[in-house]
Amino acid sequence: MTGNNSVDAKEAKQAILDYCLRKGALAVGVADVDALERIAPAGHRPSDIMPKVKSVISIGVGGQTQGAWSVPAKAMGYFGSTESRAYTIAYGAAFFIEGRYQTPAIYCPPDMDNEKGPRVPLQSLKLHAEVAGIGARSLAGDILLHPDFGYMYFASIFTELALAPDQPMAENPCPAPSCVSMYRSIGRTPCQKFCPVQCLSGHIDEDGRQAEMHYDMAACAEMSQQYEAVPAVLAKAMAAEDTQSREDALFDPDNKMLWYKMSVGSGGLLAQCFECMRVCPIATQSPLADPIRRAKAKSEA
Amino acid sequence: MARGLSRQQIGVTVAMIDSYGDLIFQMSHNHQIRRGDPIREMDFTAIEARRDELGMSDGQIAERIGLSEMQVMYIRTMMERRRFHTNYFQRLLDLGGGKRFRQERFTAHEDRFQYHDDAFALREAMTFDPGRARHYAEQGWWADDTLSGWLARNVAERPDAPAVIFDEVVMDYISLAARVDRLAGGLHGLGLGAGDVIAVQLPNLPDYLVSYLAIARLGAVMTTLYMPHRAREFETLLGHSRARSVICLSDAGGFPAAQTALDLDLDKLQSVITIGAAVPGAVPFEDLAAGAASADKLGLPRPVAADPFLLLYTSGTTASPKAVPHNSHTMLGNARLGAAEHGLSADDVILSAPPFGHLFALYSFHLALYVGAANLLLPAFTPPGLASTIEAGRATALFAAPAHMAACLDMGLFDKHDCSSLTLAILSGSAVPDDMARAVDSKLPDCAINQLWGMTETQGGLYCRPGDGIETAATTAGRPAPGAEARISDDGELQVRGSMLFPGYFDNPAANAAAFTEDGWFRSGDLASLDDQDNIAITGRIKDIINRGGVKYNPREIEDLLDNHPGVVQSAIVPMPDKVLGERACCFAVASDPDIDLDGLCQYLLGHGIAKTKLPERLVLVAEMPLTPTRKIIKGRLSLPEPIHSQDPKRDETKNA
Repeated sequence: MTGNNSVDAKEAKQAILDYCLRKGALAVGVADVDALERIAPAGHRPSDIMPKVKSVISIGVGGQTQGAWSVPAKAMGYFGSTESRAYTIAYGAAFFIEGRYQTPAIYCPPDMDNEKGPRVPLQSLKLHAEVAGIGARSLAGDILLHPDFGYMYFASIFTELALAPDQPMAENPCPAPSCVSMYRSIGRTPCQKFCPVQCLSGHIDEDGRQAEMHYDMAACAEMSQQYEAVPAVLAKAMAAEDTQSREDALFDPDNKMLWYKMSVGSGGLLAQCFECMRVCPIATQSPLADPIRRAKAKSEA
Repeated sequence: MARGLSRQQIGVTVAMIDSYGDLIFQMSHNHQIRRGDPIREMDFTAIEARRDELGMSDGQIAERIGLSEMQVMYIRTMMERRRFHTNYFQRLLDLGGGKRFRQERFTAHEDRFQYHDDAFALREAMTFDPGRARHYAEQGWWADDTLSGWLARNVAERPDAPAVIFDEVVMDYISLAARVDRLAGGLHGLGLGAGDVIAVQLPNLPDYLVSYLAIARLGAVMTTLYMPHRAREFETLLGHSRARSVICLSDAGGFPAAQTALDLDLDKLQSVITIGAAVPGAVPFEDLAAGAASADKLGLPRPVAADPFLLLYTSGTTASPKAVPHNSHTMLGNARLGAAEHGLSADDVILSAPPFGHLFALYSFHLALYVGAANLLLPAFTPPGLASTIEAGRATALFAAPAHMAACLDMGLFDKHDCSSLTLAILSGSAVPDDMARAVDSKLPDCAINQLWGMTETQGGLYCRPGDGIETAATTAGRPAPGAEARISDDGELQVRGSMLFPGYFDNPAANAAAFTEDGWFRSGDLASLDDQDNIAITGRIKDIINRGGVKYNPREIEDLLDNHPGVVQSAIVPMPDKVLGERACCFAVASDPDIDLDGLCQYLLGHGIAKTKLPERLVLVAEMPLTPTRKIIKGRLSLPEPIHSQDPKRDETKNA
């Protein structure tokens, strides 16, 4: 299969966007590949995966239902089923592009590049979405937010089909006015105040825009992902002086949960805790943030 | 065994980890800083300038500082491990659903409550046979009973119902619970908490029950001191129990209890809480009970049924008391199951003649709390006091020792007072004389007279049921409680096991070795017989058996006869060592006739058909018997006279002042 130069790029872009939206995406954009190649570090550029890539299509799907924000954190930890939503659409879109335009396309693997560092992805889906203009970095550890859809999950499609790129958002919705007000009052935004491990800090400038965002990812990951817990717990158990201490190290309630997650591959609390998004007015209260709001908006329209 | 590359293969030394570790950790994605919004603004200059702050991969770091990528990965991993906070995960478990994380409310693992060594040692003592424990749980004999839970249930179901009646004062369940909650908060403010042993020496006042419930609410452990206990008992029992605090009177009838406790040199004892006049150095009880910081407001965790909550010292006839721990499984399950057997309900008014320091009285309180009945209080037993309290308080259920009833009978109090409200009288604490039980029955015709056999170790092990009739109740202790099993060994000893049985003496392996059979039954030390209706009669104590030259006999029948002798108030026959026969019988007696003598008593016994070999061979007159709180004679405290070294000892009489 080779690139097809006879394709109407404008029509193709619209058809691809329509396909993604029809399949459930809330937002779709095309990122400027040249910008991505320039921003992403070596080894993590689109061309490192697909040498002849011409376009990177980013899609966003709805993050949570309105009801989801009211459930306990330990239950909500299971709610990040991105595989069954954004990735499915992206996977289908790659087939759609190849089928209709006879041009190579791939669903961008979302996984980590474990050889490269702590939680370094093969490709940054966040960067793709940001450059494609469907999300902007927030004070909540650079989680992308959208002014209409709030908090979304992202997936990317690479293709050798050349499509016109979109532009990043003109304005960043974060911080919301209420967050600026809170920051002015107590020096912290909701996400900064209510993070269970206080991994977020930063500053808002006089114009109410982000000046600095500090994210202690080690602390965040220690709580929600626990990747280092296994060797740490084993090391503690090996160093224990007696059987009881060893059993305490291996089988206390926290670690018992760890073994469970390891052995059955439970997704609960292996990715995010959601507490920063739970208190984020953009994530939870944007006009189209959840199905109820979207239905209401649709009926009003 | 599979292994990874060694440090030597990678070329990483400990010195390198120490030297580069912090740098690599900070350069990695573990810490990210973004200034402004350069990517969205496509400000490539800023992106390039600030790229490193957003975090670097291992390869980028390696290039930057001149290590291999594998070395960076190894050092970073080691640093992540060194810095890893295993317990961060805990913060998530109660968040969400409207709960927000508050740094000031979060307590790190290392700062969280842990049982101190003494408390943990007591918990270790709560060891049960696993097969039995499973059986008890499966049968429902062990459930989620706790005093706090029962009190809360009563508050919910009958908040205005009387919980405690004392003199003219009636405290309803909601008031009782509120005072308990405040006192528990006050005790917490003193630094007392789950697992701490708190001793109580109080008469049967409302605040005894408030103290008990507050201690239980904390998850602490109550140990009891009897009112007659003085400095020596204080030191022994508070020391052995590792008590952290004691609640007592400032002045217990002339005994300065609080000051005595304050003067003790016990390193575990942290506070003395006193009721009555202020005592320097002691904490006024009322200050704690009136405090604003209640246990519920403080969010103190509620105890569970498996927590030990009582540590009682045996009131048996042995000289050295033994510590009996109970949790709610053993203790409260027995009361829950017993309530229906005794026919008790929320309409009852329950009165205990013995002090709450004794298990039998606590049993009555447990029953009352379980069914939601009222507790009618008698601060200290006197025969007139008991009779007038029954009459004034319209008691429906009475828990008393035989001696209590005997005293009332002797004084004709059941004729002088209207005790017709009584529908149940449970007699326990010592052997119940047949004729005494019948006499009470005749005086209280509408009241079921029931014997109950129990020990501190077993609580209510056997008892008659209200419908059994006086013939059974006067002659036997009835049948095992639900959850209890009883058997009689070849040598006549009553042995029990069941869901109500304590797990073993605390910190006393020698006593435990002697207390249980190889197959796990508890040796009661009581002699028993079984009738054809499966009722068990208690016939004496093994230790009381006289072995006179190989002829063994139980002195109980002789004591019963002597107690009916017109010149004898109370008698006790104990074995007396003898070089020739091994043992001879020595009779101790409280006499109402000062001229009574051994020959006269023996003629009296012979006249009642007692064999010559069973006649007492010494007589010791005493002013009063050493008694347990349930007025059982403590034979171990009776001082034997010097032996007479003779083949045929002359019958001797000794008078003790």
